[in-house]
Amino acid sequence: MPSSSQWCAFHAERHGFARCMSCAKTLCQECATQWDGIWHCAGCLGNRRRATVERSPLFSWLAVLSVSALLLFAGARLMVWTAAAFAGLF
Amino acid sequence: MLDEAAEVVSVTAAPWVGLLIVTTLPYRFLQALFLDQLIEVGEKAPQYGNLLGGTASMIVGALVLAFWGRAIYARACRLAYSRGVAPGRETWRVPATALVSFLLTSSALAIAGYVSLFTCIGAIVAAVFAGLAVGTLELNERVSLIEPFRILVRHARTSTPFALVFVFVCAFFVALVNLAAAFALGVWALGALGGFDAPKWRLLFAPDNRRYLLMLFAGALVAIEPFWIASQVVFVRKVGAQERGDDLRAWFDVLRRAS
Repeated sequence: MPSSSQWCAFHAERHGFARCMSCAKTLCQECATQWDGIWHCAGCLGNRRRATVERSPLFSWLAVLSVSALLLFAGARLMVWTAAAFAGLF
Repeated sequence: MLDEAAEVVSVTAAPWVGLLIVTTLPYRFLQALFLDQLIEVGEKAPQYGNLLGGTASMIVGALVLAFWGRAIYARACRLAYSRGVAPGRETWRVPATALVSFLLTSSALAIAGYVSLFTCIGAIVAAVFAGLAVGTLELNERVSLIEPFRILVRHARTSTPFALVFVFVCAFFVALVNLAAAFALGVWALGALGGFDAPKWRLLFAPDNRRYLLMLFAGALVAIEPFWIASQVVFVRKVGAQERGDDLRAWFDVLRRAS
């Protein structure tokens, strides 16, 4: 008779497919999520993500978006300047 | 790594490669248009600043669309690499922090690319970091001005990104030749049909037609772009797993429980 570790911890009627590397529960294919080659259950993956992600302050968003817009605008000007310089060389 | 990247591209072919091509084509064609205009005006380019500037502004608009398409395709590659199957609708949900960080790094690297065009090495380094920007975009979990660049530099410590640039420069020329051959074959085959003006098309698809050559360059870049992005994503994922030792830790856990 198959041992209990060969059945999914959340779906008793489904065969185990992977083992969560955080809580060591056996998981079926639907319950198992692979992240960077490591299998996790949904709960542990969510905990892992909540533990590492912090919300960025609004100032950071504004700063990054402003700098990006400035870089894109400057990029257009620089493209024309570089092209004119190249055309002058050749 | 290239084999795995090719496998990822085949898994993500429909519809994500299609989305990437559709979002990148305007940018590539506008680049070709810009170069055509530049060659046309020649050394009088400084007098045509408004014309070139207008095209450059359109290129920047198309570039933002291309960035979005690349971000979605990079996520599709990551999901396909992790799961081994074609990703579904969750591919559309690129985190906003990743998108904004990618916009920042790619804009900065685009400028670096234009400035470094005068040097060969600078352009190569810009291409390396531009590729890493696509591969590392989903690693950005917080919005920051500095952190995305730190992540880029961390992944550029090996020679693999430089080797990938070399490989894809070769791939570009191969794609160029194949596209030219495909056009020539198409005109030859259609020439057998009645009513098809083959001589006119042979003249248009000739190497001395500047616009045809520029379109070929654009087409070759579009053709290799999915493989380029996939190889960057695969490289970053492999480096990440090795760096954290997650793969070894997981294997050790399995062995310990089995004993």
